[in-house]
Amino acid sequence: MQQTRGKTDKFVVSRDKEATTHLFPGLFPVGRQAEWTKQNRTLTFSIHPLDSKLALAVAGKLPREKLDRDVRVFEQDQRVTICGVATVPDERLPFINDTHAVFVALQRLVSEGSADSLDQGAGGIEEILRMSSLYREAMLRQVRVLQEVTATNEFIEEEIETFQSMHAIWHLFEIIYLATVAPGLSTSVVPYFMEWLNTNFPAPSVEEGRRIAEGSPTADELAERDGLWPYLKKLAIRGHVSILANMLEKLASSKLLSPAAARWAGAISEASRKMPLGSNEETTGSFNARWKRWNEDVRNIATSIKSLLNSDKKSVDGDLALESLFAIAEILRGNVDTISAESELWQDILGAVMLYSEPTAQASRLPSLASVVVEQYESGAFTELDRALVALLNHDLPEFLPLCSHIDDWLSAHIADLMEHISIMDVCRRVFSVDPREHYILALCETYIGHENLWRVGLDYLGLCKTRAGISVMEEYAMRVTIDSDRKAEQVLRVCDKYKLKTARDRIHRQLGRQKWQRGRLGAAIGHFAKVADSSSISLVCDQLWNEYLGSGKLTYGSVIDGVLATGLKHDRVQFLSRYRDFHECYRSAEYVQAGKILLSILVSEIAPPHAVADLLVDSIPLLEGDTLVFSSDDTFELMRCAESLTASQSSSRISCGIDRSELSIFNVACSRNLARAFVMS
Amino acid sequence: MSSTLLQVQPVARKVTALCWLPPHGGTAYTDTSLHFVTGSGGKHKELVLWTTCNPDFPKPSSEPPADARTGALASVISKVAHDGDVQRVVGLSSSVLATASSYGTLSIYNVDTESGGEAGGRGILQLRESVTAHKFSNGESAVATSLAVQPTGSADAEIASSGEDGRIAYMQASRVETLQSHEVDSTVITDICWPTAAQVAVTTRGGQIKLFDRRTPNDVAAVFVDPSNTYAFECISAHPSQPYRLATGTSTGAILLWDVRNPRKPTNELFDVHGANVWQVAFDPADATRIVSCSEDATMAVTQWVPEGSAGAGAAALGVAPEKTRGVRRISSMFNALSVNCFDACPYTRTSLLIAGSDSGNLLMERGSANGDFGDF
Repeated sequence: MQQTRGKTDKFVVSRDKEATTHLFPGLFPVGRQAEWTKQNRTLTFSIHPLDSKLALAVAGKLPREKLDRDVRVFEQDQRVTICGVATVPDERLPFINDTHAVFVALQRLVSEGSADSLDQGAGGIEEILRMSSLYREAMLRQVRVLQEVTATNEFIEEEIETFQSMHAIWHLFEIIYLATVAPGLSTSVVPYFMEWLNTNFPAPSVEEGRRIAEGSPTADELAERDGLWPYLKKLAIRGHVSILANMLEKLASSKLLSPAAARWAGAISEASRKMPLGSNEETTGSFNARWKRWNEDVRNIATSIKSLLNSDKKSVDGDLALESLFAIAEILRGNVDTISAESELWQDILGAVMLYSEPTAQASRLPSLASVVVEQYESGAFTELDRALVALLNHDLPEFLPLCSHIDDWLSAHIADLMEHISIMDVCRRVFSVDPREHYILALCETYIGHENLWRVGLDYLGLCKTRAGISVMEEYAMRVTIDSDRKAEQVLRVCDKYKLKTARDRIHRQLGRQKWQRGRLGAAIGHFAKVADSSSISLVCDQLWNEYLGSGKLTYGSVIDGVLATGLKHDRVQFLSRYRDFHECYRSAEYVQAGKILLSILVSEIAPPHAVADLLVDSIPLLEGDTLVFSSDDTFELMRCAESLTASQSSSRISCGIDRSELSIFNVACSRNLARAFVMS
Repeated sequence: MSSTLLQVQPVARKVTALCWLPPHGGTAYTDTSLHFVTGSGGKHKELVLWTTCNPDFPKPSSEPPADARTGALASVISKVAHDGDVQRVVGLSSSVLATASSYGTLSIYNVDTESGGEAGGRGILQLRESVTAHKFSNGESAVATSLAVQPTGSADAEIASSGEDGRIAYMQASRVETLQSHEVDSTVITDICWPTAAQVAVTTRGGQIKLFDRRTPNDVAAVFVDPSNTYAFECISAHPSQPYRLATGTSTGAILLWDVRNPRKPTNELFDVHGANVWQVAFDPADATRIVSCSEDATMAVTQWVPEGSAGAGAAALGVAPEKTRGVRRISSMFNALSVNCFDACPYTRTSLLIAGSDSGNLLMERGSANGDFGDF
């Protein structure tokens, strides 16, 4: 039980993500809520299936029929208020589009990679690393763009902070799981970590450095600057040893420093210049040997200064410079206590400890190193970002992912995707009850799908989710995308085709067909119905065309039929209308024999709807009675058979087929006369 | 397949239409900056006027070379809200624009690129007048899918627009009250063009090309279909000097090049260059033996169509022109993952300059690589 609670808690959204919105003016008078509800009123709402929109309206608690007396109706109660919440700020659109493109490219890369070779080779990691840096570039660019916004407000500041946090997390993730795994002799995490630290939490600040070094001061001026020593200590903590060496070298010549301090400043400067740096060409063993020698030197300096400080000499008492130099030497030799005392952030401590005591530490050492450092802090003092970073350093991915989602849905979705691709997701699968990648991608899509510009991006993410749940959610969403133009319809249908969403495709076509029908675009309607082989709807549209012809007596459906036939549609009713038009054309151009043939073929092939047969038989009368012999005896028998089956069905089903007795008798007479003529002629 | 990278500039708008504005003098020999207009749809329905430098003039060397990602390709001069998604925008002259909107309206805008807009508080882009041209029989507005200007060269040319209501509407650019519309198709008319000043050609969702004589706008002069295939046509464009040559883009990603000299027996050639709907085609203004196209599959393509043994090859044999072989050059960018909706090749400069707009909210630009390598189809 305890275990389960632990699991579910991770998905609880932090309170600051919820927001209260007030409608102004409200739907009921301010301060008169009680009075208002007494009058059988309440509020009703409905949530938009895609958008983060809400329809709000005043409703009755009881239906009107159940009320004894008539209730007065107020105009303002009949309004429906649509409340929309912008889930995606406009400022983010370029970022979302950029990262969507990278996401698509990454999926393609991975699927091609897995097709080429079954095992994920080192080359795969390098490619993924490249994609990861593209994501980071996008985040940094977004920070830059936001910082350039002149009209800053609270929201922009929050966004900047979010993006900086996202970058810090992503960068560290990249270091631990991608950069240090890439091929090369040196796989030490330390140089990467220091780079990460100085990129994401820059210290000492540029302003501070500029102030200290302003106007290229002489040694004495430099020694007099405020905050010089804290600045130098920060340099040491952050591993900026060459700057430190330059400053100390300059200081050593200052006359303001005590002779001892000046001497040791020179010594530390020289030592920090000699600090060994690892490279890809060197083996860990040989680097360690060099390192040990250097560390020994620094240790000696520290010990010497210490003994000098402890020697009770008057000259060193209160010598701030010498004490600071001692601290710097202690930092350089990797004394954890001094480092902790001089650092501002836990990240500083971790960085300095690793840099000066375990310069060849690999990523697998991070959890134990981090735990030592983090122990010194109270967990309450940690922000979401800190907690996410610590979880990441501890390689505690199941803890890390939910923390990411608290920072931003974008981050959790893309990190989860990346984790899947480098095959480290299994550890999370054991803890989560749903597929984590799918879960976070779906969460991200929810915000995109209702957006007018991002619906396609949202669908793409769902499609590339590649799970059954993703596809089924996608199908539901695809059916509900607002289609406001023919081109958008094409785009949505293409997505359906791409991801084989047959149900959605069918429903969209039917919906569009009905919409076109309502708008009087019968050809387009038939086109859509034909796409889903909706034969009965096509018949209904064709019947409407036929009835329009019967009503007006004008054959005007030609263009509709032509447009439909050009798409290669084969449907009885459409064929019928088309053949019937051919018949008219032949008749008008006095090609009676041809016209008769067409008419007969319509009747014989039974493509005509039953209610049209009578009209066709009536149409044959002028041909039967004409000057030229159109129908042979066999043809006439065929016509008579049609008439007979028509009357038979009419009497059996008692449905009027629109033929009246007088017309039928004229038809019968015409047939028998034609039959006689045919016999004579033959 | 050979492909070239495009320069990309994010604009946070779904770019649905764009066009170059003609320079004031008719040619851009002396203009150091060029202007173009983009139209967007979706959440931001806007018309935006941009300026970019003329590639015929070398850049001052002090300026760093434009980075493919961050360097701004063009800068905004002015923007104005548009009634509906901009389906098509066409520059009538250096100071007049016509747009077709998804609400079925045609609008005429005044553009003032000279004054800078401050003078007298007048906007740089200003709506002059607009008129509803496309409507369904039940009263709902129908999307105006495209717009084309009569190639008469006069300032007061006629504008023809096509709509989802199956109608073609004609009007004088200067007087919207001259609007008249004719129902000519039962499906959706997807695009329209003027092969000559007296002839209009449209493509339909039903897979037909229809030709009309402007003088008898109700009667179809000729209908062409490709009997071997069933696809919808998305776009059409006429050869600039051979009006019997029509290029159409299909819903399946092919480009069909028609020769309709014999209307009873038109011939067509199919170039399979895209993977999805081709949204726009045009003959390259600098070299009409090339067709530029853009597509739903997020790419653009330049197709070299001139057949071997034709006039082009003759010129090559004489050493007048380099020999041309058929091929396609695909242009895409990995930073643009969604449909490229529209493009326009600048006809006013010697260096080729191609801009395009996409659903990813990007402005894409290719400068001066007209003679890139052409690959096989």
